[in-house]
Amino acid sequence: MSSTELTESAGPPPGDSGQSSATPTRRTFIATTTAVGGAVVAGGLIAGTSLVDAQEAAAADAVPSSRVSLTVNGTRRTVTVDNRTSLLDLLREHLGLTGSKKGCNAGACGACTVLVDGERVNSCLTLAVRLDGAEITTIEGLAEDDRLHPLQQAFIDQDAFQCGYCTPGQILSGVGCIQEGHTGSPEEIREWMSGNICRCGCYVKIVRAVEQTAPRK
Amino acid sequence: MSPQPQAAVGAPLSRVDGRLKVTGEALYSAEHDVDGAVHAVIVDSGIGRGRITSIDARAALAHPGVLRVISHRNTPELPYRDNSGSNNPPGRRLRVFQDDRVLFHGQPVAVVVATTLEAAQHGASLVKIRYDDEQPSTDLTKAEPGESTTYARGDADAAVRDAAVSLDLTYRTARNHHNPMEPHATIARWDGGRLTVWDKTQWVVGTQTELAAVFGLEMGAVRVISPFVGGGFGTGLRCWPHVVVAALAARETQRPVKLVLSRKQMYLGTGFRPSYEYRLRLGSDRRGRLTAAVHEMDAETSSYEQFTEGVLAAGQMLYSMPHVRQAYRTVPLDVNTPIWMRGPGFQTASFVIESAMDELAHELGVDPIELRIRNEPSEDEAKGVPFSTRRLRECFTVGAREFGWHRRNPRPRSRRDGDWLIGMGMATGVYDTVRAPAQARARLEADGTAVVEAASSDMGPGTYTSQAQVAADALGLTMRTVTFRLGDSRYPATPPHGGSMTMASVGSAVLDACDRLRRQAVILAIEDEESPLFGVAADDVVVRGGRLHVQGDPARGETYQRLLTRNNRSHLEAEGSFAPPSGPERHSFYAYNATFAEVAVDATLGLVRVRRILGVYDAGRIISPKLADSQALGGMVGGIGTALLEHTVTDHRDGRIVNANLADYLVPVNADIPDLKAIYLDGEDREADPLGVKGLGEVVMIGVAPAIANAVFNATGRRIRELPITAEALL
Repeated sequence: MSSTELTESAGPPPGDSGQSSATPTRRTFIATTTAVGGAVVAGGLIAGTSLVDAQEAAAADAVPSSRVSLTVNGTRRTVTVDNRTSLLDLLREHLGLTGSKKGCNAGACGACTVLVDGERVNSCLTLAVRLDGAEITTIEGLAEDDRLHPLQQAFIDQDAFQCGYCTPGQILSGVGCIQEGHTGSPEEIREWMSGNICRCGCYVKIVRAVEQTAPRK
Repeated sequence: MSPQPQAAVGAPLSRVDGRLKVTGEALYSAEHDVDGAVHAVIVDSGIGRGRITSIDARAALAHPGVLRVISHRNTPELPYRDNSGSNNPPGRRLRVFQDDRVLFHGQPVAVVVATTLEAAQHGASLVKIRYDDEQPSTDLTKAEPGESTTYARGDADAAVRDAAVSLDLTYRTARNHHNPMEPHATIARWDGGRLTVWDKTQWVVGTQTELAAVFGLEMGAVRVISPFVGGGFGTGLRCWPHVVVAALAARETQRPVKLVLSRKQMYLGTGFRPSYEYRLRLGSDRRGRLTAAVHEMDAETSSYEQFTEGVLAAGQMLYSMPHVRQAYRTVPLDVNTPIWMRGPGFQTASFVIESAMDELAHELGVDPIELRIRNEPSEDEAKGVPFSTRRLRECFTVGAREFGWHRRNPRPRSRRDGDWLIGMGMATGVYDTVRAPAQARARLEADGTAVVEAASSDMGPGTYTSQAQVAADALGLTMRTVTFRLGDSRYPATPPHGGSMTMASVGSAVLDACDRLRRQAVILAIEDEESPLFGVAADDVVVRGGRLHVQGDPARGETYQRLLTRNNRSHLEAEGSFAPPSGPERHSFYAYNATFAEVAVDATLGLVRVRRILGVYDAGRIISPKLADSQALGGMVGGIGTALLEHTVTDHRDGRIVNANLADYLVPVNADIPDLKAIYLDGEDREADPLGVKGLGEVVMIGVAPAIANAVFNATGRRIRELPITAEALL
């Protein structure tokens, strides 16, 4: 994961970033922010990067927004967000990190689970503006280069998923469960993994995967 | 052609798309990066029936970022051609924004399009709609039934009346919602008159034909892309109105539009397993030989479409008896149209029939397994043809042994563990082996790798993996060198990804395409003077690890790579197909199981905990055992949900669903799930399809709910005839 520092003194908004005159799309914007290293590009409302004309950008600017600086998977990002934006929507809609899933948007299913400062949280219930200075780990940041996190590998080995939609949340939750030390028995794992629904019904194998990965006591 | 060695099929392989799924790289419908996409949020009707009298969009339009508010007030007439080849039930389908009628609570009545998701969501809350509302009818037990489907053999009413032993039992099952973890989502983009959608669907071809019909386009002008489906269980078998809303919004705003349903909206307009009231009368002799059954059932449907499912077959063929009468009435209600949900029809019928068999066994003092064996038919008595394969007795024998059935005390309420009453129950499951026409395309590259394509889906069973296994063996390649692609309407057409028909239908087409492709290569080799295989009979050549050789003489041969390169061929390509035989069927095709459950019921609180479940399956050949095991265990979890937790509750005063969320509509969580075990009987069904498979996804769920209900009776002596079985019912 490249480490891109977006400083507070970041330069002009995306439209003036010295790139081509075409308005950057969300992905090209992200590519830009990661490509230019410590320089530029975090001034404007990040949601505005997909806007097409100035009138709309102005309209969007009219909504209450805040600047927040947070680290996502080791990369520092300073962004201006609509105050209503959840961490989950920031990740999925603005940062292009769609590995975190929206299952219920109400904290009932766990598909959106990420680690915030090492603790597992439902990112759908967490407003992005609260997270100034926080360190976020999403599923995209769990593997080290090509080497999967042991729990990711265990999920493959145990076939602990089918459709795969709850899987990133299950894995982040499992990492949290292991760190918390709630892996003393299969019963304890079941209890502490019950905030993550798997509708395909892979619970038996999810427990096995967490068990396989947890340090032996 | 000589039979190919089977190395991949039957091997316990991990999922080929596993890495994509554990790293978050697998892209589901809302996650495709479509340049310039804006967001759409649907406004749901706030009444259960009536007319819209006014729509005030001023506040929404004034909200920063909102681009458009679209409703019937500003939507042009859409062609809505008939789509006879679709999964649309008989009736007149809901037409998006075409008039002021509200047919059910939560019907889409407007859509707000905005530059950000936040603005679209907020904007949707600002649209003010006035209605002229009428009292909706949503109560199955109080509404007038509509259409009826019937079946009869013999004189069942008289036979039940005259039977030595007769039972008259009424069961009720709750409405269930599929609740896949991924909500329905669509991104729609128009390029001139051509429409592309990235959609959550179990049938890209079905969504393609429906969008073409709604917008009056040629099939070829619509492309549907759906590489990953975050669970379906049936909810993706139809192209629902929200997909049309997304396409309409994209057309009206001339922007790509992303529309994701909220969890609540997943209860409002994407189908459900209908609620039933099901009366079953059984007649038998004193030894438990069934003489007759009368099935009378009422099930929910919408006011505008008549939804039916396969709820009759099990009552006709599962047990031997001369007299059967069935009447299946659909009851039109002010609700959205149901759709097939895992094990459609059979799940409901099996709960009723298998509960009743347990009641009869208790009444007669016969072991429940013995009772079923005494009524085992020698042929399908409804169709008058033999079963292709039916190994239920073996399922019973293996299951009873593995589960320790002999430890069950037939006297209810006779086993305790502290506060817990312990009980064991069993049930039979059956599901139709559905097969439908399918096509596939296979291409062998000069580098010795192959790509196989079909328009199918993979909502979780592992289609990517299992089809690659079939292709790898048919082509004589390793799994690493074969890629299977799906989820694009540009690939060869396939039937819906549901009804457990994918492996039999798509798998057989893939097998055919790969057999043809391998044969092309073999013929190229045996007619090539420079090939070591020159002059060998085609039937004597096999391919293994990408190398063609004479069977029994591995030294004489060459690789695909060498063969194609020498012949200056960049690739070879073949198309394959499968169609079930036409004309009258000579066999009756079903998959079966015996399911065993042990439960603990808190004697004072009525709380039910499942302790263990075992399923033994006669499902034909198992292509991918590791994935099949997951599918079976998942079916058990689904069955536990239906048996003990799942219940969509409607407030009949206004037709509103009151628990349209995952906190109040309960599905099993990890702590609900104990030790589960699945056993597949070795075997294959050569009559069913070239692969010998009978389908898995449905049959693994059927039988679970009645096995649990029967175990609850054995534990408590209380017979609960209504699903879900709640603590309240047991108090």
